[in-house]
Amino acid sequence: MESNNNFFDAWLKSQELIIENLAESTKNFQHAFCGLGVNKPGENDFLHVYTSWTTAVLNSLREMDTTDMGLLKETLSKALGGSNSYTKLFEIWLPLFKAIQEKGMNPYTYKDLSNPAEYKKILDQVFGFDPDAISQVSAQVKKFIDTFACSAGSFMNPWVEASRKSLKTFPQFLEGHPESFMSIFHNMFNAFDGTVGRIFHVPAVGKDREKIELLMRSLDDLSVYLAKSTEYQHMMYVTGLAAFEKVIATVAEKISRGEEIKGFDEFFDLWVDVSERTYHALFQTEDFSKMQGEVLEASVNARKHFFKLMELHLYDFPIALRSEMDDLYKTIYELKKKVNGLEKQLKEVSA
Amino acid sequence: MNSPYDTFAMKHMVRELSELSMKLIKGAETLSGIDEIDVGTAPKELVYEEDKLKLYHYKPEGKVTCRVPVLIVYAMVNRQYMLDLQPDRSIVRNLLQHGLDLYIIDWGYPTKADMYMTMDDYINGYLNNCVDFIRQASKKEKINIMGICQGGTFSGIYSALYPEKVKNLITLVAPFDFATNDGLLFRWAKHMNVDALVDAYRIIPGDFLNSGFLMLMPISLNVRKYVDMLDIMGDREKLLNFLRMEKWIFDSPGQAGECLRQFIKDCYQGNKLVKGELKVGDKLVDLKDITMPLLNIYASADHLVPPAATKPLNDLVGTADKTLYEFKGGHIGVFVGSKSQKELSPAIAAWLHERDGEGPLKAKPVVKKSGARHANQEEKDRRIKPQSARINNKVIPKKKKTK
Repeated sequence: MESNNNFFDAWLKSQELIIENLAESTKNFQHAFCGLGVNKPGENDFLHVYTSWTTAVLNSLREMDTTDMGLLKETLSKALGGSNSYTKLFEIWLPLFKAIQEKGMNPYTYKDLSNPAEYKKILDQVFGFDPDAISQVSAQVKKFIDTFACSAGSFMNPWVEASRKSLKTFPQFLEGHPESFMSIFHNMFNAFDGTVGRIFHVPAVGKDREKIELLMRSLDDLSVYLAKSTEYQHMMYVTGLAAFEKVIATVAEKISRGEEIKGFDEFFDLWVDVSERTYHALFQTEDFSKMQGEVLEASVNARKHFFKLMELHLYDFPIALRSEMDDLYKTIYELKKKVNGLEKQLKEVSA
Repeated sequence: MNSPYDTFAMKHMVRELSELSMKLIKGAETLSGIDEIDVGTAPKELVYEEDKLKLYHYKPEGKVTCRVPVLIVYAMVNRQYMLDLQPDRSIVRNLLQHGLDLYIIDWGYPTKADMYMTMDDYINGYLNNCVDFIRQASKKEKINIMGICQGGTFSGIYSALYPEKVKNLITLVAPFDFATNDGLLFRWAKHMNVDALVDAYRIIPGDFLNSGFLMLMPISLNVRKYVDMLDIMGDREKLLNFLRMEKWIFDSPGQAGECLRQFIKDCYQGNKLVKGELKVGDKLVDLKDITMPLLNIYASADHLVPPAATKPLNDLVGTADKTLYEFKGGHIGVFVGSKSQKELSPAIAAWLHERDGEGPLKAKPVVKKSGARHANQEEKDRRIKPQSARINNKVIPKKKKTK
């Protein structure tokens, strides 16, 4: 009897773990997939001096109970985010200013002194990119698979590790070598094909076949999304860096003409103006439009299959599932249309 | 000659940075003193509702001098209170003061229960029901429609399908010719797999659409705007106006998937409206059937709906009384810019007053900019009393007051 209890306790724990991981994965998926183009301010905590003060303000805002409190907090958060980018830009320019003062004017010196990894943080802030979220998704998926298949850990590890390593080398892509960028993904896919990918070639059997197939499909979608998303981000980083170099060139030209640079605000204005124009030029290209469309498609496909997978796991729970609700909504919609039509006919007849 | 490098005085830069931080602190204090961001404050009455849609009737400000009521149809991607964002910059208040009788549609916030709603449901259903309600309440065969942005496209479609119910049509920054690539949204939409998007989300989140709008000017809208905001954060009134705009920008309802699917596929990708191939429900839309007077307003610096998408309407309609009005400014400036209040609203009111008579109207030539001139002064003292009514068994609350 006791052994039976242990068995069910263990079973219960394993189920709880699956649900916990599922919930966590969902959260991370949403975090990663909803991030496209959305600013997430305040993540790079630059204002160390003001952290405690900011916390105090936010706490005091939290205590206030008004209808627009969400917007007020959001706005303050964005103001912090805006200042964050402004200050980060200042930090990046600082060594350049010093070089100008100490070593004299030399555009190549400026280029050497620029810090792409730091600059990337500004672009992450602007575009809401969050590479950590993608790493977390990978880790969560691995965790989920581990739990789901119990013994699949060693099977998954090579692929997940390859993905993680690739993602960690993000800043290096800023140097602008698409070929190295692609080779990293080739490595990642090779790792995938040699491990999880093998399952695609083996006919699945048993009652969990549908789950396994969908799981593999979801992983495949995730791989496509990660690849597309990275390629998209790479495009944005390289464009950002090109804009940054244009700003440096403009400053160098100004200095060579003996023009006065009044203060940091002037650099900031120049940076905004040049960056905006450079990005606009990119956005107008067919390549960018296509890439954006592909990232979107990859993200929504991954989302769709992931939710289907969730449904499969929740099927036996006493809750209404998404697809069931969709059917219900469809029925209500059609009934309403019919009733409206009949009401109209009745009105016309009685008029 | 001084060395140019001396101009990089570190102390100045540190001062700039320190000033920025001080503004932030001061601004946070101002922010914490704001309780409510009030928008859409012109008094109005809820007169009709159906599902999530609400139809409001504005209280007149002074005498109603235009006999035919105006139905304002705003886009579904943002909220209609943009037309009454702040009391001193409100198209609604301005038009009311010019003697117009105004109704406005609030489309509401669709939930998953609305995911199957189509353009047919919105145009042949909701919009048509609102028009019928106003016709019945005002005892007018025809009413005026003023459609804005996507709401303008829908109003144009509606007017082509039901010309017998529309006396005058006004379109503001409304896209009709989607073939253009002048606007980034038009270019990007052509590569969007809208089927995959709708199948995955059912109700397309407002945040998703917002992310697209922010991408049009990513540095200005994500960084510059908030750095500039620090300059006005110490001034409560200026900050409130900034917050009102922020509230509007991020108050984005989700979009019913099926409706958006058709709008993107048939309009943005297929340009069927211009080709005469768009079907809404079982009705084929022919813009030539827009036979009532048309005032088509476009913004010369509109980056969301470029002039190339709005202006062609005048060449596609069947009416000879068509006016093309150029507003010198951007998409948002049309609603809250000072020129909008001083020039555009009076021009709209004048155009409607000129066409408020019951008799046939003379054809007017297409002009670049309409002059603001009040006509039909004899109608000035006539006033339409708001009425309650009951239509299609939908409950219309009586005397329900809202902000």
